[in-house]
Amino acid sequence: MAGKLDVKQGTLALMILKTIEVLGPLHGYGIARRIEETAKNRLTLNYGTLYPALLKLEQEGFIKAEWRQSENNRRAKYYALTAAGRKQVAREAREWHQTADLIAAFLAPRRESE
Amino acid sequence: MKYVRIALARIIGFFTGHREDPDLRDELQAHLEMETAEFIRRGMPPDEARRQALLASGGLTQAVEAVRDQRGLPWMESVVSDIRYALRALRHSPAFTAVVVITLALGIGANTAIFSVVRAVVLKPLPHREGDRLVYLKHSIDGPGGENVLFSVPEVQDFRDGAGSLGGIAEYSPFTFTLRGENDAVRVRAGLVTGNFFEVMGLSPILGRVTQPTDDGIGVPPVMVLTHDYWLKRFNGDSAMVGRQVRLEGKSVTVIGVMEPAPYFPDRVDVFLNMVISEHHTSAMMVQGRTHRMTEMIARLVPGATLEQARAEVGAVHARITNEFKDAYDPGSHYRVTVIPFRQALGSRAQLTLWLLMGAAAFVMIIAAANVANLTLMRGVRREPELVARAALGAGTARLRRLLLAENLLLTLMGGLVGVMIAIGGVGLLVSLVDRYSARANEIRLDGVALGFTLMISVTLALLLSFLASLPKEGAFAALISGGGHRVSGGLKRQRLQRGLVVAQVAVSVVLLAGAGLLTRTMIQLSRVNTGLRTEEVLTMEVPLLELAAAFVPGADATAKERYNRMLREVRALPGVLDVGLGSPSPLRRSSVQFDVKAEGKTLAVGEAMPRAELRTANPEYFSAAGIPLLRGRPFASTDQAGAGMVVIINQTLADRYFPGEDAVGRRIAWTGDVLRFTPISGDWRTVVGVVGNTQDGGLDTEPRPVVFMPFTQMLAMGGGLVIRADSHVARLTPAVTRVVRRIAPTALIENVMTVAQIKDQSVSPRRLNAVLVSAFGILALIIAAVGIAGVLAFSVSARTNEIGIRMSLGADGGMVQRMILREGGVLLAFGLVLGVAGALFAARVIRGLLFGVTPHDPLTLLGVAVMMSAIGLCACWIPALRAAQIDPAITMRSQ
Repeated sequence: MAGKLDVKQGTLALMILKTIEVLGPLHGYGIARRIEETAKNRLTLNYGTLYPALLKLEQEGFIKAEWRQSENNRRAKYYALTAAGRKQVAREAREWHQTADLIAAFLAPRRESE
Repeated sequence: MKYVRIALARIIGFFTGHREDPDLRDELQAHLEMETAEFIRRGMPPDEARRQALLASGGLTQAVEAVRDQRGLPWMESVVSDIRYALRALRHSPAFTAVVVITLALGIGANTAIFSVVRAVVLKPLPHREGDRLVYLKHSIDGPGGENVLFSVPEVQDFRDGAGSLGGIAEYSPFTFTLRGENDAVRVRAGLVTGNFFEVMGLSPILGRVTQPTDDGIGVPPVMVLTHDYWLKRFNGDSAMVGRQVRLEGKSVTVIGVMEPAPYFPDRVDVFLNMVISEHHTSAMMVQGRTHRMTEMIARLVPGATLEQARAEVGAVHARITNEFKDAYDPGSHYRVTVIPFRQALGSRAQLTLWLLMGAAAFVMIIAAANVANLTLMRGVRREPELVARAALGAGTARLRRLLLAENLLLTLMGGLVGVMIAIGGVGLLVSLVDRYSARANEIRLDGVALGFTLMISVTLALLLSFLASLPKEGAFAALISGGGHRVSGGLKRQRLQRGLVVAQVAVSVVLLAGAGLLTRTMIQLSRVNTGLRTEEVLTMEVPLLELAAAFVPGADATAKERYNRMLREVRALPGVLDVGLGSPSPLRRSSVQFDVKAEGKTLAVGEAMPRAELRTANPEYFSAAGIPLLRGRPFASTDQAGAGMVVIINQTLADRYFPGEDAVGRRIAWTGDVLRFTPISGDWRTVVGVVGNTQDGGLDTEPRPVVFMPFTQMLAMGGGLVIRADSHVARLTPAVTRVVRRIAPTALIENVMTVAQIKDQSVSPRRLNAVLVSAFGILALIIAAVGIAGVLAFSVSARTNEIGIRMSLGADGGMVQRMILREGGVLLAFGLVLGVAGALFAARVIRGLLFGVTPHDPLTLLGVAVMMSAIGLCACWIPALRAAQIDPAITMRSQ
């Protein structure tokens, strides 16, 4: 399983939100590039995964989209965080940390049994 | 909140999402170009860069699809596409669609209408609290009119004391009053009840209060409880009615409450009153007279008591009192008391008719469903190539089923919708029918439950049809290709199913037609019954002038008689009037007054029941005006006055009973029995001066009862029926006669204004409606079955075109082929006929009670039905047989 991982359900939304929070309004390509770089190319993110996730976040009201000129004079659709989105990043990050700690505790070697 | 928002976004997306597609494509395109540019920047040749970018994208179309799924409601979209496809498919075969929808609509319409009636009348829980514990007691004796002779107050008291399992016994006595309004008078049908009546019945008021035990006895004020219907009809649902006073029989009565809607029992009444309103009901003769039977008994079982227990106790009490009071129970009459569950007593008359109609409607539904199944199966064969192709293109079994289901649902729901429209019309018709039989007709409506029933039928049918059809199997496509588009799956199993359905259709049609035939013959026999009157051009009208309360006021009777005489004189003078008579009740109307009759010098054999006769009154012209034939002796004469010798005229039945083979004229008879003590009628000997023919007073289907006519002048002027005869169109005299009556008695009640033809028709019409409805169902079934036979044979012919072609090229001529196809249809027909006749014999036994003048296994009816079915069935076979005979072998063989 040294190959690339599929994005786990639910985690992609947080990655997208965090990326936009860090980099500001960004187009789909930018978001994909950033996520793949951050994951050090351990993830593949094809359009069929990314764009439905963006639409879902938009439907949930966490991001809003707008057509703009890009840095190299291309028209692209930029996604920006809404106020609700900003709150959602914080909440999800907190929950994710808690979950990760919990799972880590379970997976840690137990001293008693040794 | 979040989910609502998503759902909302998705629903909006479902309708508007397709507009976003270009925008999405632009966005994906931009993404692709940026990625390509990036690869070029890293040093790839442009072509390679573009290829890599596309590879990484995972496919633009797939992405668009994925976004679309997120945007709208994917499952909805596939349902919509199924429906759209089904609509298109149905539009392509309009004849099929129309036939299926109409067939289903007729079946569903009939069933929905009749179901709503059955539900209201038979199935719906009674409003009575713990209505299952209510019982009705019936007192019967032998002989005509002895079905229910009611109870006397002392008898009721005996059961109260002796039957512990009956927790409460309510008394009810029917009575008719005249209610005086501002300037009119109306007849009010009342139930005189004991105070515990509503408590026993388990009914509550919706306004005010109902009667209670303190309303019993004498010296209490008269009170009235309105039935719900009467309150709405007469008083427009005015809640201020409670507490108001009304004038009834010259007395002031307080309205104390309005009863909740409930079926009428034991009779249809407008109001309930306590007994004090009628002096008679509180008199010693009523309260103490053991033979003075005017009371109905309804009782409530105590908790834990069973019907059997109540029956045993009631039987024991009855045995004891018949032993103790021998005079009150003539042994020849076989007095007996039966305990009947309330629900059964309530619906007994309606139930048989309703189950008949429900059965007939269910049969029509079976035939309709069979026909639709057949049509669907045949259509399934024709479109098999299409389904196979769809399967080959990747539609799974589930998806194909869903397609079929969508199509069948569409069909059955359309059928259901049209059916409901038919049912709306049908329910109106049925209410008027059921009204004659059941106290619960006012509860009939096409409500949610009935519509749910319709929906259930539609959906069930759609499911059945969808799973009846076989779907293409693995490898079917290869077979389709190699078979050149013909005959993919083996049709043997399906053909067997189709033939079974045809046999069932024929059998059910035969059953329905036989029922229709029997009911039609019943109706014809009934309308042929001689009423006993020579003419139908007779108008009857009842004008009671003497109110019960005033009957014994000195001079009241004489005044009433004087007014009747004026009416007779003036009506006789009207143009077109041939004859006018006076008597009570009107001819062909049953008299409720019956007493035992004895004849001078005649003794009864031991154990022989004392004859009971109806008491009727007549003036000298009554018989000639009504057209009742005088068989012997003379009619009443003007000399038969109050003071003169007491005379009577008897009918044929009574004459035959007492004076068989002798001349009754000149003999003497007398009213007899303990009960005479309570009436103004004396038991003196009266001389028979004439014998008249029997008349069908209790309806056309009843045995004539013995009747004794007394001269109008020698009795109280009760009732007062005018009998007017004319040359023709006697009904046209109604306004003129009414004007005469109104001039002489401005506020008098005028009721039962009917011609003899109308009275007769009233007796026949329920049977006619039965016959018409079942006949309509039968003809419907016949048509559907004929279409079914023709369709299946036509299909069989088209499937066997090759075979027939080969036969013909080998020397068979058209006649042989025609006979072959006819034989195929004939076998189905014969099977259906045999099954149908067996079913009809059984069904006729069940509806025996609805027949008159015809036996359930009437051979003529069965033969007629069999001939009719065979003829129509063979005609239906003829068309496909003819087509088969015209097959041109050369063309058939070449097309292969």
